[in-house]
Amino acid sequence: MSSQVLLFSALFAIAVGFFLLSCYLRFSLVTIGKPDNRFNELGQRFSNMLLYAFGQKRVVTRSYLFGLNHAVFFWCFLILLIANTEFLLHGLFPASVSLSLLPDILYFTLTFIFDIVSFFALVAVLIALGRRLFVPPKYIDARTYDAFVILGLVATLMLAFFTLHGSEIALGEERAALYMPVSAFMGNFILARLPGGTLTALVTAAWWVHAVALLGFLDYLPYSKHMHILTSIPNCFFKSLEKVNTQPREEFHKGSAYGVGRVDQFRWKDLFDSFSCTECGRCNDNCPATRSGKSLNPRLVIHNIKENLLHNGRQIGKGLEPALPLIGTCREGCVTETDLWECTTCGACMEVCPVFIEHVPKIVGMRRNLVEMKSTFPGEVQSLFENMENRSNPWGIIPAERGKWVTETDVPPFEKNQTECLFYVGCTGAFDTRNKRNTLALTNIFNNAGISWGVLGKEEKCCGDSLRRLGNEYVFEQMAKENAALFQDLGVKKIVTQCPHCYNTLKNDYRQFGLNLDVSHYSEFILDLIKAGKIKLKASAGLGRVVYHDSCYLGRYNGVYDQPRELIKLSSGHTPLEMERHRQRSFCCGAGGGHMWMEENADTRINMERVRQALQQKPDTICVCCPYCVTMIEDGLTDLKVTDNIAVLDLSEVIQRALV
Amino acid sequence: MLIVTCIKQVPDTTQVKIDPETGTLIREGVPSIINPFDAHALEESLRLKEKYGFRVLALSMGPPSTEMTLRKALAVGADDAILLSDRAFGGADTLATSMVLAEAIRKISAQEEVALVICGKQTIDGDTAQVGPGIATRLGYSQLTSVDRVDEIDMRRKRITVRCKFEGRYEILESSLPAMVAVLREINRPRYPTVPLRIISQEAELKVWDNRSMQLSEDKIGLKGSATAVRRIFSPDREKGQILAGDEVNDPDQAARRLIEVLVSKNLISVQ
Amino acid sequence: MEEKKRIKKPLGVARLLEGKCIFCGARCQSACPKDCVEMTEQGEPIIDITCCIGCKKCVKICPSQAIEMYFTPEQQRLLDEIARHGAPAAEEEAGQEEVINSASDSGYRGVWVFVEQINGEPAAVSWELLGVGRHLSWQLKVDLCAVVIGEKVQHLCSESFAYGADKVYIVDEPVFRFYRTQPYFVALCNLVNKYKPEILLIGATGVGRDLAGALATCLNTGLTADCTGLGVDEKRRLLMQTRPAFGGNIMATIVTEKNWPQMATVRPHTMHIHEKDPSRSGEIIRERQYIAEDDIATKIIEIIERTQEGSVDIAGADFIVSGGRGMQSADNFRILQELADELGGVVACSRCVVDAGWMPAERQVGQTGKTVRPKIYIAAGISGAIQHLVGMQNSDIIIAINRDKHAPIFEVAHYGLVGDLFKIIPSLTRQLKALRANGKT
Ligand SMILES: Cc1cc2nc3c(=O)[nH]c(=O)nc-3n(C[C@H](O)[C@H](O)[C@H](O)COP(=O)(O)OP(=O)(O)OC[C@H]3O[C@@H](n4cnc5c(N)ncnc54)[C@H](O)[C@@H]3O)c2cc1C
Ligand code: SF4
Ligand code: SF4
Repeated sequence: MSSQVLLFSALFAIAVGFFLLSCYLRFSLVTIGKPDNRFNELGQRFSNMLLYAFGQKRVVTRSYLFGLNHAVFFWCFLILLIANTEFLLHGLFPASVSLSLLPDILYFTLTFIFDIVSFFALVAVLIALGRRLFVPPKYIDARTYDAFVILGLVATLMLAFFTLHGSEIALGEERAALYMPVSAFMGNFILARLPGGTLTALVTAAWWVHAVALLGFLDYLPYSKHMHILTSIPNCFFKSLEKVNTQPREEFHKGSAYGVGRVDQFRWKDLFDSFSCTECGRCNDNCPATRSGKSLNPRLVIHNIKENLLHNGRQIGKGLEPALPLIGTCREGCVTETDLWECTTCGACMEVCPVFIEHVPKIVGMRRNLVEMKSTFPGEVQSLFENMENRSNPWGIIPAERGKWVTETDVPPFEKNQTECLFYVGCTGAFDTRNKRNTLALTNIFNNAGISWGVLGKEEKCCGDSLRRLGNEYVFEQMAKENAALFQDLGVKKIVTQCPHCYNTLKNDYRQFGLNLDVSHYSEFILDLIKAGKIKLKASAGLGRVVYHDSCYLGRYNGVYDQPRELIKLSSGHTPLEMERHRQRSFCCGAGGGHMWMEENADTRINMERVRQALQQKPDTICVCCPYCVTMIEDGLTDLKVTDNIAVLDLSEVIQRALV
Repeated sequence: MLIVTCIKQVPDTTQVKIDPETGTLIREGVPSIINPFDAHALEESLRLKEKYGFRVLALSMGPPSTEMTLRKALAVGADDAILLSDRAFGGADTLATSMVLAEAIRKISAQEEVALVICGKQTIDGDTAQVGPGIATRLGYSQLTSVDRVDEIDMRRKRITVRCKFEGRYEILESSLPAMVAVLREINRPRYPTVPLRIISQEAELKVWDNRSMQLSEDKIGLKGSATAVRRIFSPDREKGQILAGDEVNDPDQAARRLIEVLVSKNLISVQ
Repeated sequence: MEEKKRIKKPLGVARLLEGKCIFCGARCQSACPKDCVEMTEQGEPIIDITCCIGCKKCVKICPSQAIEMYFTPEQQRLLDEIARHGAPAAEEEAGQEEVINSASDSGYRGVWVFVEQINGEPAAVSWELLGVGRHLSWQLKVDLCAVVIGEKVQHLCSESFAYGADKVYIVDEPVFRFYRTQPYFVALCNLVNKYKPEILLIGATGVGRDLAGALATCLNTGLTADCTGLGVDEKRRLLMQTRPAFGGNIMATIVTEKNWPQMATVRPHTMHIHEKDPSRSGEIIRERQYIAEDDIATKIIEIIERTQEGSVDIAGADFIVSGGRGMQSADNFRILQELADELGGVVACSRCVVDAGWMPAERQVGQTGKTVRPKIYIAAGISGAIQHLVGMQNSDIIIAINRDKHAPIFEVAHYGLVGDLFKIIPSLTRQLKALRANGKT
C-alpha cells in the first residue's frame, strides 16, 4: 500500500468519523422534542419527497432565474455525489475501485456526464458568487460568510476536478479524453504548455486539493446552512400531509407547562424544521410583517430556534435548565416577544418555503407560552380575552344583542331536525354595522335560492379563532367544546359561514374536538347553488374595474381561490383584475392572527401597504371576501385619503346586486 | 401579615335591562361576575403582596355560588379565600353586610395580623360605596377612600401613604395601619390569570364560614340587620335613539337649545 | 250554612313571577320563616311549595313585586265562594300585618344638610342640598338646618341662610382645617346624637361618600347613596330616596323605616339650587368638639390641584366630548375643549384622529384605545365604527352629533343631533355659558 493511500485512508477515516459524530451530535438533539406522528401514509410521503425534494417543485416556481440556479445546483450535486463517491473509494482502494475499469461505452458516458455537470456546477457557483457580490438579494441578510465558504469549496472542488483531469489528458493518461470536453480543453490548451514534470506534480497536487476540499466540505456541512443538503429531503418526506391550517391541541394536566417556552417543548418535527431551513429568505420576502418594516422575520425565527437548540439541547437532554431563554432578547438564539406578536398568521411563509417548514404552529406555540404561563401580551388583547370568555364576542357586547340583526329582515331560525343548513353568521356579521350589510346580503341570496337554511340568532357563540391564533388555547378549548356540544345537540351537519376565519375554525380546528361538519364558505356554497340552477345571476354593470383581494384564511389556508373569482365574473361580467400579489402569494390585509384587535404603528400599517398594492390596478371597486378585510381595506383607504371614488365591497354584496 | 380583599359577586348589570313594554327585567343569561371595582382591589392587593410580601386573603359574603368568584381570585394569585355564606346573612343592606365582613375580619385577625383591608370603591349592583367605610368604622381602622395610588407602606412605622382622587384635586394622605383602603378603577389594570393557577384554583379548597362559626346576633345581620328597604323599582326613561334634531332642522341654535333642555330636565347637567 | 262556617280560607303558596326578580340579595329567602326558599346560582329564588305555609312574608319583602300568591283552581273556587258570601275575609290580614313604628314617634325631628367646603370654599352641591332640603322641610313642617364644620368657616353661615337654611350648627376649630374622616365623622356623630335630626343629607362627592359611610355605621342607621331624587311620605315621615341601581339600568326607591336619621348622599347637579336670598338669616348654634390633633391617625401630606392640562385621564372622566375625523384638523379641537371646560369634562377622540396626529394616543377611545364610562359622552363627527363603540357603549348618556343621519353612532346614541358640528358645538357652549351666567346672579 502506497504511502499516499495510507495517508488518505487516515485522513478519510478522521474526516468521516468527524462528520458522523457531528451529524449524531446535531440530529440527536431533535429527539428532545415532543412526539409527533410523521410516519403515516408512507406512499404519500414518498411521492411528496420525489415531487418537492427531487423535483424541486417549490424551488423553481419562484423568481425564475435564481430558482433555476438552485435546481442546477441540486441536480449537479446529486450526480457529482456519484463521481465523488468513486473518487473517495478510488483513493482508498486504487487497485480495485475505479470507473476506468468499466467497459468503454459506460465509462465514456459517465465521464462525459461528470465533465459537463462539473462545468454547470462551476458556472452556477460563479453566478451565485457574482450575485452575492454584486446584486445581493435583499432577503439574504446574514451568514453570507457561510455561503462564501461553501461556494468557495465547491468552486475549488470543480477547479481541482478540471486541473486533475486536464493534467492527465495533457499527459495522455486519460483514455476518455475525447469525451471530456471541458477537461480536455483545459488540458490541451492551458496545461499542455507547462513542462512535463510539473504536470505529474500537478496531478498529485490537484488530486489532494480535490480530496481535502471534498472532505472539508463533508465536515463543514453539518455546521453550515447547507446542512439542509442532509435534512431537506427527509423534511419533504415528513412534511404535513394536509395544509397547515390549524394548530395542535394542548393537554391541560395539572402541573405541566403549556405552550412552548423552552426549545424541548416543540415537537421533534419543529426542531427538525429548524435544521432544514435553507436560509433562502423566501419566507421574509413574503411576510407582511417583515415587508411593512416590523422586526419579525420568519427566517430568523426558524434560525433562532435552531441556534437555541444547539445552545441548550445538550443541557436539556441532561435534565438541566437551559442557559439561553427561547423567548427573550439576545443576539442570537432567542425569539423576541415583539416578533411573536407581530405575526398575522397569514401563512405566506409556509406557502413559499421550499422545504415545508411550518412557521405558524411554532409562533402560536410560543404565544401560548406567553399567554398561558406568563400572562404577558399586548395590553389591547386583554379585553379581547375577557370579552370572549365572558360574553363570547370580541367586543364584550351583550350576548342577547347577537340576534338583533335578525329583526331587520326575514331570517329563518335553525330548527333541529328540520333545517338543513346552518348559516353561521359570526361576530362581525352579527354585531358590526358595516359587516351586517354582508350578512343581510347573504340572507337575501339564501332566501332567493329557496333552500332550507337557518341561523342560531342569539344562541350563536363566537368560534374562538382569534383566541387560538393568539395563543389562548385554554379559553379557546372551552369555547370549542361549548360549540361542539351546541352543534351536536342541534344536530347540525352542514354549515355555511360568512367569515373565512369562522370557516377555517369550524372546518379545521374543530375536527380536533370530534366535530366533522360539512363546512363551506359562502363563495363555495353559492357557486354550487348557481351550478345547481337554484340561483341565477345577471351580470350587472356599475362596479367598474374590480380588483379581488384573497383572504389568507380562505385562499392559502383552504385553497378557495377560484370560486370568488368565478362569482365576480358572473356578477360583473368581467374577470376581476389581479394585484401583483394574488392567490398563493396574496398579501395579508393585516387583521389575521388576532391583529384585528391589536394596535399597529400608524406609519407602517399592513393594510395601507395592501391598499397601495390594490391602487396600482386603478380599481373602482375592491372586492373582498372577509369581514376583517372589509374593515382593514376601508380603513386603509381612508388613511391614504383615497376613499372618494373607490368602493370596498364584500363579495356577498357584489352577488346580491346581480341577483335576478 | 395579611391583606384582606373584600370582593362581591354581582350580576353583570350592564346586561340587565327593563323591557320598556312589559316593565319586567330582561336579564336572560345574565351571568354573575366579580364586581369590577373589586377586581381592582384584588389587583392592588396582589401588587402590594409582590412588593412587600403580604399574604392575600379574598373574603366574600354571598350565596354558595360565590365560590366561583372566589376561585377566580385564587386564579390570579390570592393565597386564601373565605366565603361567608349563611341564610341568615341574606337580604343584607350595606349596614348588615359591613357587620358580617367586619366580624369576619376580626376573627381572621385573631389568627394572623391584618395590615390592610382593600375594597373596591363601590359595587355595580348597589353603587353605595359604604361597605368599606362601614368595615373601617366598625374595626377602628384608618379609612382611606377614593384611592387611585398606593405610594408606600412603611412596615416599621406601620404607616401607609396613598393618593386620593377627589373632585378637582388629589390629596396625598398618610395614615396608620391597619387601614381600610377603597380603590378607584383608575388605580391599576387587573391581571389576566395564568393557566396553571386557573387549574390549581379549580381544585383548591375554600373555607366556608356560616353563622354557626361566626355566632353573630341575628338582629344585626341579614334582612333583620338592614336599615334600608327597596320600595319600588322602575325603568329610567333614557331610551336610546332619540333624534332631537333631524336634518330638516337647519337651525343649530335651536338644536343645541333642545339638547340642553332635555339634559337639564333629566338632571343630567345643571345650568346654575 | 253549617258547612260554610267550616270553610277555612285557603292561604295559597308563594310563586315567583317570571323575569321579575332583580337578584336583590336573597331578601325572600331570609324572610321565609320555614326555610322554603332556595336561591339559584344567579340569585333567583326557588320556592318549595310543599313547605310553604302561605305567610306572604316573601311577597311583602320583595322589592320588585316578583312573588305572588298562587292558588290552585280548587282553592280559587273556594276563595271566590268566600268572596261571594262576604264571609270571614277580614279576620287574618290585619293580624299578620307587621306594625312598623312610624317616624312620628321616634323623637327625631328636622332636616339637616352637611355643608361641604374646602378651605372655606363651599362645594356647590351643598347649596343644591339646601334647595331640595327646603322642600322636604316644608312638607314635614320642620326646620332646615345646615351643618358647617371647618376652620374659619363663619362666613358659610350667612351663605347657608341665603340658600335656605333656617338654622346653622357650626363647629369651627383648627383640627377641622382639612377634611379627614375621623374628626369629621366623630363631630357629626356627636351633633346628630345630641340634636336628633330625622333626615341628614350629604353630597355624593368623594368626601361626602367617605363621611356618610362612616357616619351611618356609627349611628347604626340606613344610608342611601347617590340619590337623584328625594321626596317624603308625609304620613309616615319617610324619606323616599330614588337612585339608579344596577349600573343605571333601573331606578329604585329606597326607604329607611326603622332607624334614624334617614341618611342619603345626593348626586351633584341633580337638585335645584334655591334662588339666593342674602337677606335671610337665622339662628347660629356653635358647638365645641374636643378632638386632639395627636389622636388623628391620618395626616395630609399634600393637596394637588387637578388641572385640565397635562396628562388627562379620560378613563375616569364624568363628561367626555369626543371628536372624530369630522373635526378636520387639530385646531378645530379647540371648540371641543371649550365645551368640555364648560361641562367640567375632558376631550377624547377616535383612532383616525390619533392617526392624523391631531390628538395624542392616550385620548383614543375604543377597541385598541381606552374604555370610558362617563355620565355623558358627546361624539362629534364620529361615525361610530364598532371599534369605537366598544370603548364608550357603557356611558350613561351618549349624545351624537353627525351630519350623516345614517351614521351607526345614532344606533347607540340616546340623543342624536343630525347637523354640522361646527355650528352645533359652539352654539351649545355659548348657550350653556349664557344660561349659567343667568343662573348665578
Ligand atoms: C385593528 C383596529 C383597531 C381599531 N381601534 C379603534 C379604536 O380603538 N378606536 C377608534 O375610534 N377606532 C378604531 N379603529 C378604527 C375604526 O375602524 C374607524 O376607522 C374609526 O373609528 C373611524 O373614526 P371616525 O368615526 O372618527 O371617522 P369616520 O368614520 O371617517 O367618521 C367621520 C364622521 O364625521 C362626520 N362628519 C364629518 N364632518 C362633519 C361635520 N362638519 N359635522 C358633523 N359631522 C361630520 C361624518 O358624517 C362621519 O360620520 C380601529 C380599526 C382597526 C382596524
Ligand atoms: S404567517 Fe405571515 S406574518 Fe406570520 S411570519 Fe409567516 S408570513 Fe409573516
Ligand atoms: S424557512 Fe423556508 S422559506 Fe424561510 S428561509 Fe428557511 S427554507 Fe427559506
